[in-house]
Amino acid sequence: MAVQLRTEEEVQARLKSGKLVEGRTHMSPVYLEGIQRILTVSADTELISAPAYFRAAGHAPSLNAFGTAIAIVQDELAHAHIAYRLLEDLGVDKDWLIYQRPARQFKYPYAFDVPLDSWHELVTANALYDQAGFLLLSDVHQSGTFGPWKRALTKVSLEQNFHLRHGRNWMRKLAAEPEEQARLQRAVDWMFVLTLEWFGLPDDRKLHTEQLGYGFKGKSNDQLRQDWMTEVVPFLNEIGITVPAHHDPAQGRYVIDCPFPAAFDAQAKRWRFEEGPISWEEVLVRWRARGPMNEEYVASLQRGFRALAAEA
Amino acid sequence: MPSDPVHPTAAIWGALREIQDPEFPISLVDMGLIVSADYEPVSKTAQLQITYTAMGCPATEMIQEEIRGRLLALPGVEQVDIAVVWGPAWTRRRLSATARRTLRQLGIAP
Repeated sequence: MAVQLRTEEEVQARLKSGKLVEGRTHMSPVYLEGIQRILTVSADTELISAPAYFRAAGHAPSLNAFGTAIAIVQDELAHAHIAYRLLEDLGVDKDWLIYQRPARQFKYPYAFDVPLDSWHELVTANALYDQAGFLLLSDVHQSGTFGPWKRALTKVSLEQNFHLRHGRNWMRKLAAEPEEQARLQRAVDWMFVLTLEWFGLPDDRKLHTEQLGYGFKGKSNDQLRQDWMTEVVPFLNEIGITVPAHHDPAQGRYVIDCPFPAAFDAQAKRWRFEEGPISWEEVLVRWRARGPMNEEYVASLQRGFRALAAEA
Repeated sequence: MPSDPVHPTAAIWGALREIQDPEFPISLVDMGLIVSADYEPVSKTAQLQITYTAMGCPATEMIQEEIRGRLLALPGVEQVDIAVVWGPAWTRRRLSATARRTLRQLGIAP
């Protein structure tokens, strides 16, 4: 059924009066397209983290640790479901989005395309990636203008906090042993800069300017990147892990100490810093080509649906 | 804990009130997870009986490690003994008034 959308002026007037947008009948075409895009990124990120974390959970050092990792996977699937369900209300075909969309069209951060091959990498992902997710969603929770999403994020934020604490507790525990600390350091060496990339293009290069104008988010990419470093750099330094970033009191902000953005060897999980910084255009090429685990993860999510469709 | 004016058992309860449930911003005490807490002065041991909201709780080790870490930081506590008990069974009745208020604020029926 066709839905009568609003004009740009009507949406802006609604937002200016302090009201939230509750559904398609409150949206302009630009708002609808923008919120669909940002919700898809959020849903895809939550969804793809499930097979990524599930694969790594097999390295759990105990049955209870495995149980905790699986509980996190279950949370991520539930968070994905919330966002896809909202997309369905916005007229998107949910089954197509989840089960039939080609792997390359999924829109989650490139970091998840690089496999997590150990318990150390899984808990580092919980501490670094989930911190990024937590900040991005907290921003939407606080400043977002799409009411149904904003309200649903109360539950999501609480659960993300659990994932984050899981990551930090384990990192702190492992870092107390020199050998384990060295393994954590190796994980952080490739995962830290991938999470810096997670926040997207710098503010002066941003593609979708309506995200802030429409209040899909409250903070810019660079602000969120700074917020993330403010959370993770002191924690990592405290447990004896070094990172290529430090706080500069003179500038009142964090400064990245390595070439950024840089070329990344996904197979070796190594930054090619020796080549110096690259352009964001080159980063976009790598993101669009997707990384090593993209097809395998999406296939694992679509396998059951395809098997049932083949039987029917 | 001779140098600490706070009674050891009170200090243990106080420390447990600082540890939050893995998901909710509610302390383990307010969640009703601490069944008993005592201090044994000869061996300088904090002796706890704790329970979980469910037998399949995925965060049992996580909660115990946070308890151990926090209590061992108290002056005079050198050991922490944790016994997990399932009687009394945890029900919503074990939530404190503070926990109920926080859950309601979060939109969760206590």
